[in-house]
Amino acid sequence: MILYKTISLAAFLICCGILTYHLIRLIRLGPPKDYSHKRGSIKAAVTYSFTGAMSPTSKESAYLHLPTYTAGLLYHTGTFICFALYFFMLFDAGLTDAVKWILVCVLAVSGLSGLGIFIKRVSLQKMRYLSNADDYVSNLLVSGFQIMTLAALLNGAYAAYYFIFAVVLFLYLPLGKLKHSLYFFAARYHLGFFYGWRGIWPLKTNGQVK
Amino acid sequence: MKQDNENINKALRVLIEPKDSKLVTYLNSCVHCGLCAESCIYYLTTKDERFIPANKVDLISSIYRRYCTFTGKHFPKLTGARELDDATVEEMIDQLFGACTLCGRCTKHCSIGIDISYLVREGRRMLSEMNLIPATLQSTVNTALETGNNMGIPLEEFEDTLSWLEDELRDEVNDPQASIPLNVPDVNILYTLNPREPKFFPLSISAMAKIFHAAKEKWTLSTSMYDVTNYAYYTSNDKEAKTIAQRLYDEVMKLNAKRCVLAECGHGSRAFRWEGPNYLRKEYPFEVITSVELLAEYISQGRLKLDKSINKELITLHDPCNLVREGGVIEQQRYVLKHAASRFVEMTPFGTENFCCGGGGGQLAMSEYNERRMKIAEIKAEQIRKTGASVVVTPCHNCVDQLMQIDNKFKLGVQIKTLAEIVADAIIPD
Repeated sequence: MILYKTISLAAFLICCGILTYHLIRLIRLGPPKDYSHKRGSIKAAVTYSFTGAMSPTSKESAYLHLPTYTAGLLYHTGTFICFALYFFMLFDAGLTDAVKWILVCVLAVSGLSGLGIFIKRVSLQKMRYLSNADDYVSNLLVSGFQIMTLAALLNGAYAAYYFIFAVVLFLYLPLGKLKHSLYFFAARYHLGFFYGWRGIWPLKTNGQVK
Repeated sequence: MKQDNENINKALRVLIEPKDSKLVTYLNSCVHCGLCAESCIYYLTTKDERFIPANKVDLISSIYRRYCTFTGKHFPKLTGARELDDATVEEMIDQLFGACTLCGRCTKHCSIGIDISYLVREGRRMLSEMNLIPATLQSTVNTALETGNNMGIPLEEFEDTLSWLEDELRDEVNDPQASIPLNVPDVNILYTLNPREPKFFPLSISAMAKIFHAAKEKWTLSTSMYDVTNYAYYTSNDKEAKTIAQRLYDEVMKLNAKRCVLAECGHGSRAFRWEGPNYLRKEYPFEVITSVELLAEYISQGRLKLDKSINKELITLHDPCNLVREGGVIEQQRYVLKHAASRFVEMTPFGTENFCCGGGGGQLAMSEYNERRMKIAEIKAEQIRKTGASVVVTPCHNCVDQLMQIDNKFKLGVQIKTLAEIVADAIIPD
């Protein structure tokens, strides 16, 4: 088991190393230099970009697609939990049975949400048109990781398979669309910067005259 | 259409040598969730998957992946990485010029937060580097570069128009001293025009002149550079955009005006106020505001006395994308209408959620996409019809033009007016 753990940790460090390279590159390139007269607050707008602007009432991509939005939220929550649990697994940190069962339930729901999103991508013509192989592979890897985490929580005998799966995921993550795990945050920052500079965000009344 | 390597390399440099982290961020962010589809008027009216904003993003990011990422270079099929070949170029022209008004609605609703209209403009920049701008759009830029205004209006014609407008102004306000000042230095305001105004809609110039007269403003027009538009913003040719912006900048400096007030023109206000300083790579030493903000200011300061009962008809408002969603002028036009019109109704949706009229992004200049442009206008026509309004106000001459065509095609029976026209009608003379 130590061998599996060591290899998975190495894969994790490689993944972090490549993502750090991406992050350093972004920092080196820096934000756009804007010479126009700033009208709003960048800080307030960037904060809004990560909060109010992400709320289901603010985005059509959320309120027109509530089942997908909800599935996406659950799926990503499950993913973050799995990454945290990876360290528990790695260092054999103990979890009480109650916590284990709560996590199993959460991961079952999030894993199913991921598979639901996969089925949507496969079954809708619109989604097939937009998708490439990376979209399917990425979804299956992350959903699979959640299911493997669940299995390893339920039965320690699956731990070896779990760590092998983790190696594949960690090595693939920085190569394809999964690197949006880093770029998402940069994108929200840039959008907040843009709308904040012009005084558009944080939105107040959207035109309603007080 | 066959592209030579030199042109392809020029286009690729846009992706390979980014100026900042914004482009790289957005090129790596799209997850193809497809949730942007319903935010785009092209997709909503046609259900054509090619028009989904994510597909437009992918046109550019797939090229980036092919030439700038390890996976794209070695396993292109895995990530859908594409060569910049003739087929890709043709698709880019069709999608990025012919199927996007740069309205930015998809940006606001993107689940990740990608500025999709910015990416489309970067795609247009690649095409610009390859000299592949649609000839119809480029000819508008060329006319502006060659004549100083995008409609090629000769100086004599412009001066003649202003001369008779001035005569009419004197009659209307019953003041022989009323004027449309030309090239006066050291004024508070240098006012700009959309060349459609002297060419087709001179009454909107009269309206502003009447407003300046009532507000007792010290203002001027310039005869050598009055054009607020900058169609090179649409072609993403920064060199040409800079030349056009520089002319207006020089004119404000020459006349030593305290403020430059931009006429009712969505993209023009964006191109000079927000993009212009970046084209010139310097901050303006003068203030730039839109006429919409100026009108709100005059009313709030009591410089204009209005009788809103004069405008009795039910009025609705079309929000120009560049002014509102991308420019942050959201409440001022509503404040003005609240004081200048007695009956007002919002469209659904409105403000930053509003749908584009279909005339943005240079679409009105590209006649080859006319059929598509009027197809996407179905949404705006329906929005207007549902309000029951008989007058549609919009602070953008591009939108005015498209809305007039919408009115004609969909038999809406509405009048299209600028904000200044509504305000001018409501002025109570001293």
